[in-house]
Amino acid sequence: MSAVVASQPAAPVARRRSYGRYVLAKVLGALGSLAFVVVVNFFLFRVLPGDPARVLGRDRLKSPADQAAFRSEYGLDQSLPHQFLTYLQNTFTGHLGDSIRYRVPVSELILDRLWPTLLLVGTSTLLAMLIGVWIGIVGAWNRGRTFDRASTGVTLTLYSMPEWWLGLLLIAVLAVGLGPLDGIFPTGQLHSNDVDPTSLEGVLDTAWHLVLPVLTLTLAYLAEYSLVMRSSLLDEIGEDYLTTARAKGLRDVVVRRRHAVRNALLPTTTVSALSFGFVVSGAITIETVFSIPGLGLLSSEALTGPDYWVLQGTFLVAAGGVILANLVVNLVYGLLDPRVRT
Amino acid sequence: MTGDADSLNPFLGYEAVSYEAWALEYDFLVGYKMTDMSPEPALAESWETSDDGLTWTFHLRDGLKWNDGVPLTAADVAYTYNRVLTERIAGGTWRSYLKTTSSVTAPDDQTVVLQLDSPSATLPLLPIPIIPEHIWKDVSKDAMKQYADEPSDGKPVVGSGPFMLVEGTAGGSSYKFVENPYWWGDGPHVDQVVIQVYKSQDPMAQALIKGEIDFAEGLTPLQVKALQDQPGVTAHNGISPIFEEIGFNTGSVDTETGKPLGDPNPAVLDPKFRHALGYAVDTEQIVRTAYQGAAEPGTTIVPPFYTTWHWEPPDDEKFTFDLDQAAAELDAAGYVKGDDGKRTLPDGKPIGKLRLFARSSEKPSVDTMDLLKSWLGQLGIDSEVTAMDSSSLGDRIIEGTYDIFQWDWYVEPDPDGILGDFTCDQLGNLNDSWYCDDDYDAMYAAQGAETDRDARAEIVKKMQQQLYEDAPYIVTAYTKVGEAFRSDAFACFQPQPDPGGVWLIQYGGHNYPLLRAAAEAGDCDGTPSAAGAVEVGDDGTPTAASVSAAAGDGNTMGGFLAGVLSTLVVVAGFWALNRRRTVDDRE
Repeated sequence: MSAVVASQPAAPVARRRSYGRYVLAKVLGALGSLAFVVVVNFFLFRVLPGDPARVLGRDRLKSPADQAAFRSEYGLDQSLPHQFLTYLQNTFTGHLGDSIRYRVPVSELILDRLWPTLLLVGTSTLLAMLIGVWIGIVGAWNRGRTFDRASTGVTLTLYSMPEWWLGLLLIAVLAVGLGPLDGIFPTGQLHSNDVDPTSLEGVLDTAWHLVLPVLTLTLAYLAEYSLVMRSSLLDEIGEDYLTTARAKGLRDVVVRRRHAVRNALLPTTTVSALSFGFVVSGAITIETVFSIPGLGLLSSEALTGPDYWVLQGTFLVAAGGVILANLVVNLVYGLLDPRVRT
Repeated sequence: MTGDADSLNPFLGYEAVSYEAWALEYDFLVGYKMTDMSPEPALAESWETSDDGLTWTFHLRDGLKWNDGVPLTAADVAYTYNRVLTERIAGGTWRSYLKTTSSVTAPDDQTVVLQLDSPSATLPLLPIPIIPEHIWKDVSKDAMKQYADEPSDGKPVVGSGPFMLVEGTAGGSSYKFVENPYWWGDGPHVDQVVIQVYKSQDPMAQALIKGEIDFAEGLTPLQVKALQDQPGVTAHNGISPIFEEIGFNTGSVDTETGKPLGDPNPAVLDPKFRHALGYAVDTEQIVRTAYQGAAEPGTTIVPPFYTTWHWEPPDDEKFTFDLDQAAAELDAAGYVKGDDGKRTLPDGKPIGKLRLFARSSEKPSVDTMDLLKSWLGQLGIDSEVTAMDSSSLGDRIIEGTYDIFQWDWYVEPDPDGILGDFTCDQLGNLNDSWYCDDDYDAMYAAQGAETDRDARAEIVKKMQQQLYEDAPYIVTAYTKVGEAFRSDAFACFQPQPDPGGVWLIQYGGHNYPLLRAAAEAGDCDGTPSAAGAVEVGDDGTPTAASVSAAAGDGNTMGGFLAGVLSTLVVVAGFWALNRRRTVDDRE
């Protein structure tokens, strides 16, 4: 690598690094961020009000001796530096400590709650991205026409609605039914309680239960993608190369697909990739409305107590998701557009 | 906040759903009577006590079996109690019921003997889940804090209760129980009970309307009202043992040094000042506006729910809303109005602003404090209301940096627990008004050793009277719990207490075996007042309407079996949050 760099004459602005070097720099940067998060993560939650021995111990801990025993059981009586070391050890072994509330390893809890969140938020993000980008393209290409105005209005309205309210409306209309029309979807839960979620029937049942929450989130997320796509495509529409393309006699559809959209996709890619980083942090309000046991609920519920180890675990996973997504975006960028490597 | 089970191990969990699961899975030696929560035979058929009150002998029923077919003997009971007595974790929740017990033995298969150091007032009530020795002998003292006690490999948890747990984990979203064929009692008449955890109330109410679930608990007054208009649904606000209070800082101290702690306003330290404010609180208006009518005006810390123990203030002592009376008492105690129209302390200094704290998560809490602020204002006392999350308020109470707060308590059937929370022993722990009085403590000790129920009730009432006069708390309301069920699917809910009490999430769990499908309900087999429960709702829905609604609405893909009862529990429900609130020492 160094040979490559050395052979290049000094560039007037900055030397362009090789991709390998670029990757190394980005990975190190990501690891640095992660290390920072690991440290902040520990101290961040220690400033929360409340005392687990009081809130989670409830009336069972009637004497100071009981409380002392409770604290020592969970290592809460140790000095902060000592607790920090334990935390580091727990983090690197992947065990993440024991939940004070549920008395099980946090890693188990997170794994249990991960897949409902991935299904719910992951599917919604994907759908919102595909549909939103399509709406943005069609809207920008037909700027000012009925579809453009209608889609912009609707997606913005949905975007501005509180998610839980939208969810409740959908439950009332599509699950319970309006007037003489019966609702067809379940009102909540991840799956029926009499099916095995791993069987074929269980998978279908879970999908059935996820229709409304996924629909809610998809509708709420649409504007994020459609607006970005629309505006970046509008930027491209006035460009000379499109006139050239048209002058070559290309059909409108081809001009749009091959030339305009391709160039306008970059900002959308960024938004999408970063959104995927947030998938693992869950969707607290929608998980609450539809009673879906996901990571968002787990972390918000752990705030009472506070259940430090669960909070640290979920926060670490959420931050890790964002850092990873960032890294992937950077790496893909470096590949797509050599200019960013400078 | 969640309404899931934090742990299904009866020695670890503390959430309402966990208690409900144990009530279904396990039996007590002596449980609660449905109607008034007095002790009632369960595994023990009869009992007697020696003349000195130091030996209690319990006789078990014939032919008791665990749900795996193994005989249940007195040795299992002694085993359970001995673990409670000797192990810290096992004793955490349950030792208070065996407070003065020194030893438990099983001289034969059907006899359990308790030896006491001193007489105990709470016996024979022993609502401790009895666990099977042949299973738990493999769970060591150290393994206890991790033992989940959940079904594994499709095998139910071994217990002796009317139902057995076949599915469910700590923190899960549903818990499934099926009938225990070996149960000693009559019933159950439903095949299974499913407890489904909802994280918000509106979707739960909608699920009930749709028939996805058959019972819902923890509903708001507004939802109860709306559900009463639904065909096939019966809804009510059930009486429950919850009281709401305005609490004062009566003198926060450092428990180690005994020196004053925090910065309470001198006014609230004075019992005369607090007593005067008793006349400045309009409990009827609080019930009307803060609780939307789903409560009764409050008086003392033992709710009228517990008829044996509740002390009702006589008319000449009772706080009535009377600002003139309040003003007169304040004047008499030296809190006279200054030139600016504001009241001063007896030494002539200004009172300043009283700091009122409410819990931001509970709207009624904030409403109550806003009302109090306006009443104080009319008396010439300035105050400011601050709402904060309950953890922060808990910290503040421990530090003594408050004057007045609003909170609530869930009171157990035996008054020992709530009375003990006002003793000097609990300063810096559960005693959040920092009340400490020698006479009171002496009475507390006396009631705990008094085995005669009537004599004990006398002391318990005197203690309530003293607290009423000294007013560390002004009890504002006894709140109710909103419940609803599909009356076209199920019947025979027996209220606790009767009449007017809650239908399902009760002390003891004995109501589940009584439930029947609406079509087969008949007279509920003569269960006292069980049919009456169905009529409590004011929509007049006939109880034996079509059962088809319960047998799978066609909307749920799997559909429910006929005779399946789903119980819903809300996260936001009272039980989950307020089973017991605590305040403890500083770190």
